[in-house]
Amino acid sequence: MTPILSRRAVMGAGLAALVLAPGLALAEPGAWTSEPVRIVVTFPPGGTSDLVARLLAKHLDADFGQKAVVDNRPGAAGTVAADYVARQPADGTVLMIANNAPFTIAPTQFESLPYDPMGDFAHVAYIGASAPGLFVKPDSGIATVAEFQAAAKEGSISYGSSGVGSISHILGKAVDGALGVETLHVPYQGSAPAIQDFRAGVLDTFYDMVAQNRPMIEDKEAVAIAIAAETRFPGVPDVPTFKEQGFDIVIENWVGLTGPAGIPPETAAKIHETVAAVIALPEVQAQLTGLGVTPREMSSDDYAAFVETQIGVWKPLIVAAGVQGK
Amino acid sequence: MPGDATETSTDAAARPHARWGAAGAVFLIALAAVFMAGGLELGLGVLFRPGTGAFPFFTGAILAALAAVTVVQDLADPGLAERPDWVSFAAIAAALAVFAVSADRLGLVPAAFLTTVVASVPDRSLSFPGKAALGAVVAAGAWVLFIQLLGLPFRALAFDLFGGA
Amino acid sequence: MELISAFAGGLATVMQPQTLLYCFIGCFLGTFIGVLPGIGSMAAIAMILPLSFHLEPTTALVMIAGVYYGAEYGGSIASILMNIPGTPSSSITCIDGYPMAREGRAGLALFVTSIASFGGGMIGMVVMAALSPALARMALSFGPAEYFSVILLGLVAASAVSNGGAVKGVAMVTLGLMLGTVGVDLTTGDLRFTMGVPELRDGVNLVIVAMGLFGVGELIASIRANAGGRATSVDYRSNTWPTRDEWRRTWGPIWRGGAIGSFFGALPGTGQTVASAVGYAVEKKLSPNRGMFGKGAIEGVTVPESANNAATQTAFIPTLTLGVPGSASMALVIGALMIHGITPGPRILTDHPDLFWGLVASFLVGNVILLILNVPLIGMWVKLLQIPYRFMYPTIIVLICIGVYSLNNNVFDIWLTLVFGIAGYLMRLFRFEPAPLLIGFVLGPMMEEQLRRAMLLSRGDPMVFLDRPISAALIAATLGILVFGLLAGLRARRRLRLAALPADE
Repeated sequence: MTPILSRRAVMGAGLAALVLAPGLALAEPGAWTSEPVRIVVTFPPGGTSDLVARLLAKHLDADFGQKAVVDNRPGAAGTVAADYVARQPADGTVLMIANNAPFTIAPTQFESLPYDPMGDFAHVAYIGASAPGLFVKPDSGIATVAEFQAAAKEGSISYGSSGVGSISHILGKAVDGALGVETLHVPYQGSAPAIQDFRAGVLDTFYDMVAQNRPMIEDKEAVAIAIAAETRFPGVPDVPTFKEQGFDIVIENWVGLTGPAGIPPETAAKIHETVAAVIALPEVQAQLTGLGVTPREMSSDDYAAFVETQIGVWKPLIVAAGVQGK
Repeated sequence: MPGDATETSTDAAARPHARWGAAGAVFLIALAAVFMAGGLELGLGVLFRPGTGAFPFFTGAILAALAAVTVVQDLADPGLAERPDWVSFAAIAAALAVFAVSADRLGLVPAAFLTTVVASVPDRSLSFPGKAALGAVVAAGAWVLFIQLLGLPFRALAFDLFGGA
Repeated sequence: MELISAFAGGLATVMQPQTLLYCFIGCFLGTFIGVLPGIGSMAAIAMILPLSFHLEPTTALVMIAGVYYGAEYGGSIASILMNIPGTPSSSITCIDGYPMAREGRAGLALFVTSIASFGGGMIGMVVMAALSPALARMALSFGPAEYFSVILLGLVAASAVSNGGAVKGVAMVTLGLMLGTVGVDLTTGDLRFTMGVPELRDGVNLVIVAMGLFGVGELIASIRANAGGRATSVDYRSNTWPTRDEWRRTWGPIWRGGAIGSFFGALPGTGQTVASAVGYAVEKKLSPNRGMFGKGAIEGVTVPESANNAATQTAFIPTLTLGVPGSASMALVIGALMIHGITPGPRILTDHPDLFWGLVASFLVGNVILLILNVPLIGMWVKLLQIPYRFMYPTIIVLICIGVYSLNNNVFDIWLTLVFGIAGYLMRLFRFEPAPLLIGFVLGPMMEEQLRRAMLLSRGDPMVFLDRPISAALIAATLGILVFGLLAGLRARRRLRLAALPADE
């Protein structure tokens, strides 16, 4: 499913900046425009995308002299922001933090989109990803996916998600499908209220990003029985994957930097190198990890190919979740 | 009503009858009907499993009933209502529309200028150059405050006639 | 005693020059941003966030918190002077604050709100210091059934907010509930009344409703009334100091507002706006001066300000001790801490006591700073009203436009404000009041969401509202208010009929 690309380039301060993907002009990290760059965010302030954008903006300015401001344009699952960016000048002055919502979920979920997630955009720099997983109560007696499957077949189990059509909802449906069970989906507005109800004992289980909830796992308030990643995740190495328990469920919650189609190749290369250099800073690595995002270096071409693959990966899941056309 | 203090008694002749208030309530009934119809279409669900349309339908039904009571009340009201000021109404509506049209196309500074000028149309005590000067001051102030000091991600100037958003 | 030594430790942290400086910066920026219509604490925190990345976590949190409660101080200023809520929660302050300003008592209103904000803030601080673990447990015992019941209680109480005919008031609450259904249905993902507009998927922003109904509607009406002259023909006396009687009258509302605010602040998802709305409704039921509410009652500005400031402090309880952000601003606070590698949760009191107690102590310091900052500025704010209205109102319109635009950086929101502004003016002509509509609009979506979630989880069994003790108690209280209200209404009507009998036909 998820292609494992240029694993060799992962992390390691300075190293990432040295590893250049083929096909790209050599570019030195640095400012690419004299204007302040607007980094459009698809969510209101406070989410992972927003915080990544603010981190990026701060270090672009402080370390590479590239002024940048964060421009939150939330609405309609990120499609308002994507539609806006698609119609901006392609000179590197307007970029966006791309993620699943407008690029891989909305193309299947929405009846009509005003933009083409591939053709209207230049996918410049992949930043990193987090992975969601399944959380159960410590006293539930469930420790593996197989035990969860057995329990779900026996009686009705409820799960909280961060909303209809959200990553956690779609993962829940994917798990239902793979396990041949039917669980009760209870949508919330974001993961925080779902976790609150889980703690209040109202919900049996919930799906959310695993690394962000590490303290709950450490406090034995919740057990993450499986993570929907290819391999175990740094930061939470004790959480097994669905794959190693025999269920092929991988869902990657990625963020990247994307601009309108038609950015000149040398500008795109410069943006790519500068962003890679920012992400390679040890301070940024630590802060991204704090947000539960595992950074990874990927060439622009690989990133574009990745987004295209992801649209195909998500399509059947969204159809199965029954949120198409909503 | 706060405006009453400054209105003189000669205004009373021009003030409409309170029973016009019923027109507002009639509009509310129409709006409620739209939500009720939409609610039915979306599905009411069953008694203890309310569907997507249940809330719009039932709030619409309650609103329609309450509005019907106010129609009766307003028709029986012998008092006078506030005298409408359609000139100011139109100017303010136009000012908001001007900002909406120009903010992305021309940028914050021209938008603030145009909005100020349009909004000040109903005030006859200010000459046109005075209005333009006021517009310039407001536009400059908006630029200093929102873009320079607060660093909000607005574009001060743009030229994009097809509109950014 | 342990409490006091912990608090003293926190105070020592805050009194360090660097922390003190950032506390001041936060409070100052917050007040300033709060005054600007539509630009609330969330925008201010987002703005200041990058600055916090390289600060120590405690200092960063103290600064961000300063922005957050500073904005509540500032929010009431625009409400009182211009009838435009600076922050959503200060829309309630408009109801009595603006009439006070029209009577030439703007200085007094501003002074009283500063005192009320301070009082509410202090109550919130004490509650947070003493009751954090208990309140965190309470928040955890609130499931969908309890949320629904408490919102129902708030809504029934709020139906009393209207001044005009009771029927019109309840009709406006209902209209607010109905308009709150626009957007994606959270339970099923179906679209409701979005008319194909993507921006309407997320519903209408509360700020837009408040700005349109209160700000734009009122502004249109005031242009002719003030043609060529000052804001009103009443001249602005500079009396800001309350009389002994006025002091006495603010005392009770500060306590009640503070208690109600502390409760709703600690409940994730409700927050300042609900706190001030419910506080106002309750005060209107209890106050001996209830007849003056809506016409410039001093209690009417005291309660919402005390409540929303108490709520801003206690909102940190679930945020820090549960890691559950009650609002978007609080989500930013969590994000800021996570960047520093601190994940808020039950262990924060033991793992980072310096952070927790530093924050609590900073509430004391910050509120004192805000009081010192705000009271001397009252004279300046009141002077602002002496600017001829022909200069003022076009400026206000531009401020409204920019404030609304800054919400999502989308001009669609300006068009929506236009629609609500037109509605606001027409409602005024037809003598419908905007305040109850706003309260219905705030509570409605939450009520529906929790009701349907409760029914979903109980698999369609309505007994869930009565089986759970907290929920049952809240439902009983709601019924009590309803019965009491009906009886009182019947008695009043009978009295009225008896009194009117000889004179009328």
